[in-house]
Amino acid sequence: MRLNGTLPAHLHPCVTAQKRAMLRSLHDVGMTTNDIAYQQLTNLLTGTLSRGEGNSCMVLGPCGSGKTKLVERCLSDINESPIVLRLSGWIQYSDRLAMREIAHQLAQQTGSSFLSNVDDVTESFPHQEEEEEANPFLDTPPDAVPVTVPGISLPPSSHLPALISILPTLARPTVVILDAFDLFALHPRQSLLYCLLDTVQSCRASPSTKGIAVIGVTSRVDTIQLLEKRVKSRFSGRTFRTAAPQQLEDWVKITKTVLSSKCTSGDHDNDDEWQILWQAAVDKFMSAKTLLNALNETFSITRDVRMLKKLITMVVTHISPRSPYPLPTHFTDAATLQRARPRFPFLYTLSYPALCLLIASIHADTAGHPVFSFEMLHETFRDQVRTSASAPIQINGGSIGMAFEALISAKIFVCAAAPTTTVVKEFIKYRCVVERDEVKKTVDKTGQINLKKWLNRAQ
Amino acid sequence: MNFNQPTHPGYEQFTQELSSLISLYPPPFIYVNDVQSYRTTTSVIDDILEDLSERPPSLESPTKIYHARIDGVASSQWGLDREGDDGTRWNENLDSFLHGLRALHTQLCKLGVEVAAEGTESYEGICFVIVVKQAEILKDALLELMAPLPCLGEMAQLIICVVFISQVRRKDIKPPLGAAPEPYFMDIGSPTKEHIVKHLLSQFSTLSTTDASSSSQSITPYHPSLLPLYRHFTSVLCDVCFPFTHDPQDLAYIAVASWPGYAKPVLDEHRRYLAAKANEMDLDVDGELEDGEEEQERRRQDALALKPPGEDTRMRLTRLFNPSLSAALEVLLPRLSNAAEWAALNEPPPDLLAMPHGPPLRPVIPAAAAPSDITTGTANAPVGTNSALMTMGTLPRMARFLLVAAFLASMNPAKSDLRMFGRGLDEKKRKQRRQVARIKSKAAAKIPQRLLGPAPFPLDRLLAILGALLEENDAETRLPAPEFTIPGEYTDMEIARVGVLGLINQLTSMRLLFRTSPVDRLDGPPMYKCSVGYDSVLGLARGLKIPLNDLLWDPV
Repeated sequence: MRLNGTLPAHLHPCVTAQKRAMLRSLHDVGMTTNDIAYQQLTNLLTGTLSRGEGNSCMVLGPCGSGKTKLVERCLSDINESPIVLRLSGWIQYSDRLAMREIAHQLAQQTGSSFLSNVDDVTESFPHQEEEEEANPFLDTPPDAVPVTVPGISLPPSSHLPALISILPTLARPTVVILDAFDLFALHPRQSLLYCLLDTVQSCRASPSTKGIAVIGVTSRVDTIQLLEKRVKSRFSGRTFRTAAPQQLEDWVKITKTVLSSKCTSGDHDNDDEWQILWQAAVDKFMSAKTLLNALNETFSITRDVRMLKKLITMVVTHISPRSPYPLPTHFTDAATLQRARPRFPFLYTLSYPALCLLIASIHADTAGHPVFSFEMLHETFRDQVRTSASAPIQINGGSIGMAFEALISAKIFVCAAAPTTTVVKEFIKYRCVVERDEVKKTVDKTGQINLKKWLNRAQ
Repeated sequence: MNFNQPTHPGYEQFTQELSSLISLYPPPFIYVNDVQSYRTTTSVIDDILEDLSERPPSLESPTKIYHARIDGVASSQWGLDREGDDGTRWNENLDSFLHGLRALHTQLCKLGVEVAAEGTESYEGICFVIVVKQAEILKDALLELMAPLPCLGEMAQLIICVVFISQVRRKDIKPPLGAAPEPYFMDIGSPTKEHIVKHLLSQFSTLSTTDASSSSQSITPYHPSLLPLYRHFTSVLCDVCFPFTHDPQDLAYIAVASWPGYAKPVLDEHRRYLAAKANEMDLDVDGELEDGEEEQERRRQDALALKPPGEDTRMRLTRLFNPSLSAALEVLLPRLSNAAEWAALNEPPPDLLAMPHGPPLRPVIPAAAAPSDITTGTANAPVGTNSALMTMGTLPRMARFLLVAAFLASMNPAKSDLRMFGRGLDEKKRKQRRQVARIKSKAAAKIPQRLLGPAPFPLDRLLAILGALLEENDAETRLPAPEFTIPGEYTDMEIARVGVLGLINQLTSMRLLFRTSPVDRLDGPPMYKCSVGYDSVLGLARGLKIPLNDLLWDPV
């Protein structure tokens, strides 16, 4: 099999189709480690959906271990179609926002509105509500809503129990998914969690009511400890754990599965011809020693499958009709770029004045002044220009000032003190976050002798 | 695929990677990091997305792509800036934004299915791309968005690709506690000189086509026949300016400012040639008529057409304009002036090429950009002091004395005042600071105050120094006042006037002095700081005949 030759033109559509198939299969990488959790969660959901139980549980696992995917998979595999309420602690950062979202999703899925009367109330007495919030003597402190544009109508928190208690009376069972569960525990008095879990606990199987399940999804291990006592006692405490694959073989398997996903470009003959070529290329790719090393290295640094996905993505995007096969070098390149990112990969491409400023900052540091102002660096630079026989390029005020600003905007120079209005711009204090070694390497790489000499004087 | 054409030199690999990612199956979160040519990258991404969203869905990319752009600067008004069918707003908060996205999605899907039903296009769904420019500003302005924005697709259950473009590393703006997933990184390297030259050349063709459409008769600097000269010009420009900035847009700005002047001698030459030719033609008009009329006309056109100048002309132009290019960099890079003003000021004299060979042209620096003391080489006049200088020209005499006194008070240590300003009985005037032999010690060397910036001083000290200055430099100019008999009594009265205190307040409101103590503090004297730089004060002091350097504890 010759894989090095150029690809015949009639196979070019296959390349694109293959790329597409691989990227798509990257999105649905299944994890064998989560099979037990899948079984447990399915059992729980079946209990709620078919027997009308009230259930609560928590799906716990590190980031990228497939928690959300697990929940979605369970929901889609179940025959019945419950009402699904999806909340996220990142978006619904207050109980009132969460209530509004619950009402909205309920209205969408059942067709009838649940908060319309509430909305009317708040809109007709907007001032009264504001007064209520400002009253410090209320025994129920108003919910802290950090950023809300004035004019948004939010239901008052007193409506919360009423809204939640509707859930079991609906025509279909309800599944509430709380993404970032730990953030809901940070809401004042955990009212939403309390109401939800209380409703779950008091849910009795009867012909008039339907089941309700509350699934908390979180990566924070101590979430249960965050719950107040009254909330914790209503939570079932069931925890389903997800985990990323624990073996290097799993990673190899994932890589191989993704790469050898089937594609169709529309033409069967071409597809067959392409598949043979492609499979050979994948085999060659997978057996390359550099690839296995890079995989092993990455696996020992992180067990996060998302990292592997990113690396494969980069290999896939580098495939084009001109180089139609996956290359292990692309994988190693991806590893340096995506995995452990170099601190300042762009340093050596900085402009000349910026490099001069960096060296001047190193000089300031060796002189015992890790904190410096623009004027100090500029003075050092001017001295250098004056004293060195082979002076660096003459630079006046303009461009070196701009280089300083460029370094600030790239956060190489960071402010050492809080900015005040009474300090002129040139005297604001900065620190340099680039280490001396990095500057040295950079200067070596640029190969400018006078800069190198200047830097070496800073001992 | 037309998007693979290198319309943006140096971005071929990036374009290929990004467009194949987005058109095939976009990852949820992409982070584009570019330090040096941020603006160019932004426009490249815009072009890629524009191109992708205009393409009809095909077999290669069956998803239809829509993109929206959120500018970090204007992000307070972010979101879908439109209303739903039922009048609900979609930019209230993240919730309603997601609702809006979903509603838009269903609406567009319906449309897509209808189109697909007609059989013209294959259709598989819709992909939204949301581009956030200057993502680092989100960290300060909308921190609560940093975590959920990357997972927008997961939350809305749609295919959404969020692209962050930033000059800052991801590490610096990452939300804490691993709140957001790690993005797919794409780094943009610094553009090389060759790429910038290509970029500038590609701009020439766009400028010349727009020119040609407007008026074909008049010959502008962007005439297509001048392209070879422009190619030469850009390479010279990049040779001069590339070490100082790698931003293609900045270099393009300098090119736009300098090119008309650079090309003008050639155009002048051509115009003279045309005039001479016209005279010649007038003479020749009743000459030979044997050639066909058309042939003659064609030859006439050929002879009159603008031809690119020869090698020696180019060399001469380069020699003439080289200093002006680096001066343009100094002025235009910090935008001390604008391109139009620069071009107008630095227009070469007419018929430059007809003159005998002379020295290179001296660049004319716009007044607003001229540092107060460019000849001294100190040139640490900060941006913005020029306007301060202009206002200082109109200040009353006492205010100038005040500013000089404030500068001295800011720069000299308080303990040195007696030595600098005190006059003993023996009339031995100021004792200069003794130059102490430097002892090498482990302790950090002391930094002179002029580098550390002005130090705050109390009002009393300012008035005392003002008195000393007035006594030394102003006493002779006063009207005779025989009622003052004690030496210095007159000066004491001068500095105790209400006008002086009023002037201090006025200078503070002009931001020439900074008041560092809060206005409502009652105990202790108010503290001030001088905000005017050395160069400006030196100018003032010269006008007042004060020997500024003699009065500075640590002279420059």
